[in-house]
Amino acid sequence: MTKEEKPVPLTKLPDVCVRCATCMAACPVSRVTPRFPGPKQAGPGAQRFRSAAEASVDDWIDLCTGCRLCDTVCPAGVPISEMNMMAKAKYLDERGRTFRDWLLVRSDLFGEMAARYSKIVNPLLKKKVVRWLLDALLRIDRRRALPAYEHPTFRRWFRTRQAPKGGGPEVAYFYGCFTNTNETDVGKAAVEILEAHGLKVVVPPQRCCGIPRLGVGDLRRAREMGRRNVDFLLRTVRGLDIVFSSTSCGLMLRHEYGPLLHLPGAEELARRLFDICEYLLGLHEEGKPAATFQPIPLKAAYFAPCHLRSLDIGLPALELLRRVPGLDVSLVEAECCGLGGLYGFKKEKFAIAEEIGKDLTEAIARMKPDIILTDCEGCRMQIRHLTGLKVLHPVQLLRDALERQGEEIHRVPVESFNYLG
Amino acid sequence: MDLQTEVLIIGGGATGTGIARDLSLRGIPSLLVEKGDFTSGASGRNQGLLHSGGRYAVNDPDAARECIAENRILRRIAPHCIEPTDGLFVSLPEDGPEYRANFIRACGAAGIDTLPLSPREALAMEPRLSPRIIGAVQVPDGAIDPFTLVVENARDAESRGARILIHTEVTGLIRDGLRIAGVRVRDRITAEAFAIAATWVINATGAWANHILRMAGLQIGLALSKGSMLITNTRLSERVLNRCRPPASGDIIVPNDTVSILGTTSLRAEDPEHYEVTPAEVTFLVDELSRMIPDLKGERFTRAYAGVRPLLQSEGTNDDRTISRGFALIDHGSCSGPAGLVTITGGKLMTYRLMAEKTADFICERMGLHVPCSTHVQRLPGAGHGHTLKDRLLRLRRQTPAAKGEILCDCELVPREAVDAILREGKVRELQDILHRTRLAKGTCQGGFCVYRLLGLLNERSKADHRGGSNRILKGFLEERWKGIRPVLWGRSLKEEELIESIYKGLFNLTPAEPGGPGGGEA
Ligand SMILES: Cc1cc2nc3c(=O)[nH]c(=O)nc-3n(C[C@H](O)[C@H](O)[C@H](O)COP(=O)(O)OP(=O)(O)OC[C@H]3O[C@@H](n4cnc5c(N)ncnc54)[C@H](O)[C@@H]3O)c2cc1C
Ligand code: SF4
Ligand code: SF4
Repeated sequence: MTKEEKPVPLTKLPDVCVRCATCMAACPVSRVTPRFPGPKQAGPGAQRFRSAAEASVDDWIDLCTGCRLCDTVCPAGVPISEMNMMAKAKYLDERGRTFRDWLLVRSDLFGEMAARYSKIVNPLLKKKVVRWLLDALLRIDRRRALPAYEHPTFRRWFRTRQAPKGGGPEVAYFYGCFTNTNETDVGKAAVEILEAHGLKVVVPPQRCCGIPRLGVGDLRRAREMGRRNVDFLLRTVRGLDIVFSSTSCGLMLRHEYGPLLHLPGAEELARRLFDICEYLLGLHEEGKPAATFQPIPLKAAYFAPCHLRSLDIGLPALELLRRVPGLDVSLVEAECCGLGGLYGFKKEKFAIAEEIGKDLTEAIARMKPDIILTDCEGCRMQIRHLTGLKVLHPVQLLRDALERQGEEIHRVPVESFNYLG
Repeated sequence: MDLQTEVLIIGGGATGTGIARDLSLRGIPSLLVEKGDFTSGASGRNQGLLHSGGRYAVNDPDAARECIAENRILRRIAPHCIEPTDGLFVSLPEDGPEYRANFIRACGAAGIDTLPLSPREALAMEPRLSPRIIGAVQVPDGAIDPFTLVVENARDAESRGARILIHTEVTGLIRDGLRIAGVRVRDRITAEAFAIAATWVINATGAWANHILRMAGLQIGLALSKGSMLITNTRLSERVLNRCRPPASGDIIVPNDTVSILGTTSLRAEDPEHYEVTPAEVTFLVDELSRMIPDLKGERFTRAYAGVRPLLQSEGTNDDRTISRGFALIDHGSCSGPAGLVTITGGKLMTYRLMAEKTADFICERMGLHVPCSTHVQRLPGAGHGHTLKDRLLRLRRQTPAAKGEILCDCELVPREAVDAILREGKVRELQDILHRTRLAKGTCQGGFCVYRLLGLLNERSKADHRGGSNRILKGFLEERWKGIRPVLWGRSLKEEELIESIYKGLFNLTPAEPGGPGGGEA
């Protein structure tokens, strides 16, 4: 990939594109629907036809999931997904966003509340009539299971738990909204595995990273949220590294705060942000004190999320998993799960998300795994939805594989995750 | 095959096809012969500026008045060939405020609307302009698509009874005593030669006017001036940008469809056929125009090309810019030449309709007919068809083969259907003919990625298997393409060019064309 010396303005990106069409082969959306013309055409191609002064006509831009697979293959280094995002932002600014989008991107705000009343909320979300209403009124597809809320939240658990004694170097943890209110066990596992590596975990104040806002092209609010996070986290990174367990939050923090949102301090932050498995693998490779794993005799399939590919750090989770004795883990040969964050919940996009996911479903069916592992909560939701199988974050399995002093029972992977089917 | 007609027109540029249309509207039969395709002369090699007349207002008020009148007419009869962008006459400090004041006054006198703008206003409208500007004046300039304009003049003329033969070259004039009684022609593709008898022969060959006249031992005072232009990959501005100073070289940027055209130079040429864009011209244009748009140097250019203007000589001038850009209609019979031969040359694309009107008026008068001209009110056939960038972008919506929306040229979004329609019409004979009638190969990759798709389509319709087939056509095309690309091959264009070259040479195993086979083949 060739990097231009100074960032090329968006309107000049068609000059950078060499028209090779490599990106067209990578795009999961154009593969399944003729309604989306693909990255080359929707991005640098369409840009030559756009005028800043006039209203947009390319409504198909809303079909780009922002998976960024195109960016990862472009030999000229065109930030295609970013172009699409800007175009989408302009289009939606002109057309206006729906109430549903307004609501969905605020899930971080009502998440805490929903978690507190999860006993009431969860059964409600399961009810056919509620799902039917959401579908009819908000166009949130009723065939898509909604994630359940958990109480207490990860944050509360962390605050009220009995922290292990002893020192060790500190590391900060960015857990992300979904871990906090819907998948607390991922957070717990992250903390445990970090501690098992001799680290002391701190949880700095943090907000939603803002990536859902990007999905609806709301750059202004994404920037606002980012600014707050940078303020919180900069204080932390001036002394500590930060690890994240959610790939998409991590991508947002590490790659979008700077290049896309131009937040001051973003670069300093990015330098000390790490994917949790990337970080742990580093410890193992550098010969730092690391945990050892006991055998887990399972057949596992590991799926690499799109946003992990964008992070450009290889597949650290897979490498770590390979260090677990007895675990027969192999990579799922499929490109994209299709969910695209909130994208696949939207009624008008449900079919596209399903269709993209077919490859993945078939690949998994061929592998016949006992369990599926993947770093991104969106992918986990989608794979559960598509296959009905158990899907965990790699750190959950690693946590279960930890060799513990004095612990006899061989723990099988957690059942803790309650998912509304 | 020998043919016969009332009026024979030589030259299928804007002027020739304009005359054919004008005559057909007056019910006078004509036959037009063009040695290449319609826009192979200056009509396909100009800057595409729909002049408001502003450029001529100070120095040549008559030309200015002519321009603004035709400007208004063309907007009415050919709205689909015109982008009503407006234009700015931009003053830099070195241009001074005096010319600007004169300019506004002279435009007023010629009937050209002006809107003076402060530097701030102008920069808000065109952010890429130099912050050094001291002011700007808005005028009703625009961009014109000469390809569609010419092809539709021809189509309309044909539908009203005119006959047109393209790829047919006049090789001699037939004399009958003191009259010219017709022409000898040769089909450039089949090499077939034949004669066409005519009562009137109109020489509308622009820069080639003296080539035809020499066949009758005649000559007129005509200087040839080569003008070179550069095309950028994207539009630089929304409006035409002119320097507010006496007309000179390198002072106009015309937004045209997806691109901008930078021009021009003005250099004496000897021959209307063989010329090229020199590196010095490229450097000059980029340097000179970056005074208006400072970051021009980093721009990606996709092509350089040139055209030759016929300039009517008047005595004692050396600078081609001061030679009249007006046109001349010469009845050779009335100036000691043979009767029945008329030459119409000079002028501008802007004035093609007026030139055609004057020529047809003359013919009518000589024929004793009193039919008034109606080309200033009769709209061209395609008028009303959407042609904006937005409309074209929307083609992406139905791009599946099943929906007949397969896109052949990705850069310019030319659907297969557009080429199919042209082929169905059955009038095109060469690859270039197709390229003149669509924007195929006019975008970023300059046909590097789409012409082979087009050849695939031609093969399917077994149009490409004469004279060496698609390989020969492809090589011919690539050679032509190379001529246009070579002068601007640096930076980002270079990267793509390397890729294209490696595809043709490394993957397709295409070897350089055999000598003696230039140009496209029969399509
Ligand atoms: C560099 C440049 C920039 C210009 N920019 C502008 C502009 O921005 N705006 C504007 O209004 N005008 C512009 N012009 C002027 C404009 O392009 C011409 O005035 C106009 O196109 C002339 O049209 P035409 O039909 O008279 O000549 P042409 O288009 O040259 O047509 C003559 C035709 O005669 C054919 N021919 C020649 N010999 C024979 C033969 N023996 N047998 C059969 N056919 C023959 C040729 O193939 C050719 O197609 C520009 C010109 C140049 C060169
Ligand atoms: S971001 Fe993903 S969906 Fe969007 S154009 Fe790129 S590859 Fe396609
Ligand atoms: S991969 Fe990059 S260079 Fe190639 S067509 Fe796509 S955007 Fe252009």
